[in-house]
Amino acid sequence: MIPSIHTINILLPLFYIATFAIYFYDFQQGGKKFENSKRLFLFITLILHFLYLVLRTIEFNHPPITNVFEIFTVLAFAISFSYFILELVTDIRGTGPFIIIISIIFQIISSFFIQDLTEVKEVLRSNLLGIHVISALIGYAGITISAVYGVLYLILYNELKLNKFGLIFNRLPSLEILERLSSIAAIIGFVFLTFTIVIGIIWLPKAFPDISFLDPKLIGTFAVWILYGIGLINKFMGKWRGKKLIILSILGFTLAILSTMLTNFLAKSFHSFY
Amino acid sequence: MNLLGISINHRTASVELREALHLSEEEIRNFIQMTKDKAFAEGIVISTCNRTEIYAIPKSNNTNLKDLEDLIKNYKSSFEVKEENFQHFISRESIEHLFRVACGIDSLLIGDNQIFKQVKDSFQISEEMGFAGVLIRRVMDAATRVGKRAINETAISEGAVTVSYAAVQLVEKIFSNLQKKSALIIGTGETGEIAAKHLRDRGIGRLALTNRSFDKAEKLAAELNTAVFPFSNFKEHLYKFDIVVSATSSENLILTKADIEDAMKKRNYASMVLMDIAVPRDIDPESKKIDYVFYHDIDSLNIIVEQNLSKRKNEIPKVEKIIQDELDNFFEWYNSLEAAPTIKTLRDLFESVRAEEVEKNINKFSEDDKEKLEIITKRIINKILHHPTIELRKMSESDLRIEDTAAKIAIIRDLFGLNKKED
Repeated sequence: MIPSIHTINILLPLFYIATFAIYFYDFQQGGKKFENSKRLFLFITLILHFLYLVLRTIEFNHPPITNVFEIFTVLAFAISFSYFILELVTDIRGTGPFIIIISIIFQIISSFFIQDLTEVKEVLRSNLLGIHVISALIGYAGITISAVYGVLYLILYNELKLNKFGLIFNRLPSLEILERLSSIAAIIGFVFLTFTIVIGIIWLPKAFPDISFLDPKLIGTFAVWILYGIGLINKFMGKWRGKKLIILSILGFTLAILSTMLTNFLAKSFHSFY
Repeated sequence: MNLLGISINHRTASVELREALHLSEEEIRNFIQMTKDKAFAEGIVISTCNRTEIYAIPKSNNTNLKDLEDLIKNYKSSFEVKEENFQHFISRESIEHLFRVACGIDSLLIGDNQIFKQVKDSFQISEEMGFAGVLIRRVMDAATRVGKRAINETAISEGAVTVSYAAVQLVEKIFSNLQKKSALIIGTGETGEIAAKHLRDRGIGRLALTNRSFDKAEKLAAELNTAVFPFSNFKEHLYKFDIVVSATSSENLILTKADIEDAMKKRNYASMVLMDIAVPRDIDPESKKIDYVFYHDIDSLNIIVEQNLSKRKNEIPKVEKIIQDELDNFFEWYNSLEAAPTIKTLRDLFESVRAEEVEKNINKFSEDDKEKLEIITKRIINKILHHPTIELRKMSESDLRIEDTAAKIAIIRDLFGLNKKED
């Protein structure tokens, strides 16, 4: 099974790149030539990726959530899968390349550095941890997608203000739709992050009796959560809209990425498991 | 095929002449009545603000394009029409030109798909007037196919190519659902009226008008069933609107940056689109610096129009290809309308039916009778087909016009499904 896992590990970035290329070609040409086939290609890529995750789980006897490179591949899957569902539900097909490219980045990093870990710390075999990590990844996929739509909103906003009527103007959906997509993704992200934090609070003292709540990862996650919380409260109260919320979403995403990178590569956090 | 065509269009005649030669529906009906009683057997008359075209099949081989020209000249005798105001077409050229007209590539606004409907309406009139025979029907079937294929298979009709449509396209890049939005039209001249109608057609939620002359605004408002604000106090209501289209002939600014800022504060900075399609401009261009204000003037709308026109021009080769395909298909059908191939196809059809039935039932007969069955059934078929065969041969050898022969053969082919069989 290991050779199959290694083969799929190499194939996955290639599949994502091919899917991106079809989506990008369709975006650039503005035709309807690959309208359905690009979706099918994304579906096949997701099936292959799902198979890869299942094979890893079976072969290495733990879900692929025990280190940052395993998490990156799950995140790549979660982002593209969330986009796939969003595309099915909204039938807005023009924004695919901007989301899939994020999956490509995460998958390439993962494919390069992922290791065949059969031995993991006992603490990582907890069921609560599994729910915690899956919930966190869905939350991160949500805020990633929210940030991407946020960036697209800002680009289209500026093009409209500056009377630039190029590719972005012709292909993207309206500003209102981009804002709505960004908001929906942010709400999903916030809900799952809340759930992640609650599970973490229950599980943490059991797994790490000497845990400090001043841990950089915890502080980072709380900061992201508070940022989105403030934004969403103001949105529902009708005080904030448009650019303000979008910038907040992009800031939240940047903070989340920085927090993950710092805790995993630099700081000594309980979230660094290897 | 002796289909004659004449066209007076934006390339050959001034707008005054085109207007003068424009035929109303009633005039078209009268013209057809007069024409079909004289020299032409079947045809179609298309008249829009940009073109008047007549396609007709003469009753006699001696009738020519000059006769067709004279008909329209005599019908509109009060206007001087010169030879150079006409484009002339014969046979394949006529059909090709009609196809080009139907799919909009001959229009002033390339890809204008209104012409497609106008061509179909013209055919309807011909049908109702008994002026559409087998050939014209077939030509129109093909023209309709060209029009539909051009729309479905190319981008020839995509994108806004008028300032008013470009304004609507722009608005739709900001708001997702116009039904939930409101619009104010300042100035109810021709441009304002067109913009109002476009927005209404796109399903705008709430539409209101204001104009210096209140009576004029009220008149249009009654037609469009919208609200009207007096020009003196419309600024007080400005904040209620998501879209403001200004198209007055005022020499000075009507809305200043301060007016817009004031409205935006009252709207809590919900997005507002300002379409200033007046020359000189009605709204202070500095307003674009305010957050969530999307200000566009005639120049920016013209950029969209030019881009879309350029894209449509790039689609012309694809449409030309469709036209050639359909022309080839049409003439393949037309060339099949000769007596000899039709006789052969008809006989083949009957023989295949005979052979199939004999084969199915052959075992019900004794060995001796099997041969007799073959002979008898063949004799029956020959007897049935004897008269039609003779008549078809006579048709091709008589002095009938080729179009009349073709029309009769077309009916026979349709009746017996000979075209389907060959497909």
